[in-house]
Amino acid sequence: MIIRIDEYSDVPIYMQIRNQIVMGISSGELKPGEQLPTVRALALEIGINTMTVSKTYQLLKQEGYIMTDRKNGARVRENISQSGVISEENKTELRRIVSEARLSGVGKDALKKLIDEFY
Amino acid sequence: MTWLIKVIMFVCIVPTVILMYMLGFSKNPGRKKMILGVRDNPKFHEGEGAKKFDAIVDSARRGGLIITIAVVVLSILMLCLPVNGNTMLAWTLLVFALFLVAVPYGKGNTELKNLKRQLGITKSGVTYTDITSTNVVHALKLPWVILPNALALIGTIAAVLIDLGVIGINVASEKYALTLMSISFLFVGVIMVPIAILMDNTRNMVISRDSNINANYSRAKKKTWADLFIAMSWANALCLIAYDIVLVFTSSETAVLAGTVLYSAVIMAIAIIGVITQQQVERRYDRDTELELQDDDDNWILGMFYYNRNDTRLNVEKRLGYGGTINLAHPAGKVIGVVSLLLIIGSIVYLVYLSATGQLTV
Repeated sequence: MIIRIDEYSDVPIYMQIRNQIVMGISSGELKPGEQLPTVRALALEIGINTMTVSKTYQLLKQEGYIMTDRKNGARVRENISQSGVISEENKTELRRIVSEARLSGVGKDALKKLIDEFY
Repeated sequence: MTWLIKVIMFVCIVPTVILMYMLGFSKNPGRKKMILGVRDNPKFHEGEGAKKFDAIVDSARRGGLIITIAVVVLSILMLCLPVNGNTMLAWTLLVFALFLVAVPYGKGNTELKNLKRQLGITKSGVTYTDITSTNVVHALKLPWVILPNALALIGTIAAVLIDLGVIGINVASEKYALTLMSISFLFVGVIMVPIAILMDNTRNMVISRDSNINANYSRAKKKTWADLFIAMSWANALCLIAYDIVLVFTSSETAVLAGTVLYSAVIMAIAIIGVITQQQVERRYDRDTELELQDDDDNWILGMFYYNRNDTRLNVEKRLGYGGTINLAHPAGKVIGVVSLLLIIGSIVYLVYLSATGQLTV
């Protein structure tokens, strides 16, 4: 799975990694139970501080996407708990995206098509 | 006998300068991922940009060719001169003159980066990483590098014991010549171990969306490096043992110099095979390259020196030639850079001093 890091993005690097790992799990690129690189290895590979990767893994663990232990390192969770609801934070983000799309003249159908494509 | 010294210098300098020219100034720049240390871009081959691009590349290539021919011609002329202190200084300075090939390369690199800005090609700061192959792609089998060095160590211990008289063998060569020769070879061999490990741990390149392609590409490149270091370690160890045997039975300087010529030729041959294999790997994976790789051209000073404060890695893949180089923004990289620079300047100053005071003898 390829991760793209943009140094000049407004989104912090730990969040960029987190977002792309979540997208990877959702798309099936990262399979349930799949081993993730160690904090040190990933930090060396990307060329960033180990604390940044550690922060990403802590966040992913907190959110229930991955599990970590001393023996096996980090793995994608076999059963990710499905609450069936969109968080308030994501709702706000979605509202912003829809608003910007409407202001740009993007039709509802085009937006729905895009959602179908990504889902 | 002194003609052998000239042959050694010739064998070292001429293939190196030709290799540097071939690696730095590609014959078909449009087909390469990297041109003069700048990543290729479709805009370099369109309209007005193409004209400027061709002019820059042609000018750099011409400059490189002139310097290469000058070094080769000078080397041939030096072969005709007798070996004395002054010509030895000239030979050594000719070794440092090899760096001049990098001047048109650096100039071309700066001009191409300016052209990029003019054409509005800005994509710096983006890094691609394949997390599937992180820390799993390795090709170096460490025992194969350690084993020849262990052999070299045994040879060195034997040499020390012979010179100290612990082992009762009458040595034909001068006292401690055996020990000094063995230690220098052992030193070269031991230095190769951490470099081989560093090269095996370089960052995996992302050339495709397919993780298998990325892993295979990185593995193929690392395998070439691992094979190169293993071959060099064995050549080094076998040469050490051969020298030990030769120096025990003869004090002939001709034999020693002939051995040095052979050793230099073997090392050169191994290096050339390594470069050819790397080129084959690049050609093989050219058609699989689908992603625009990270644009970090601005982090490469003159296309040769890597300086990136936002990168915590110490070693990165080279742009000019093959192999690795250091990140000069890394604290350890700064120390290595300054020490290397001082060593180069110090060597030149010391050689000139020796020559000026008439102490440089053969």
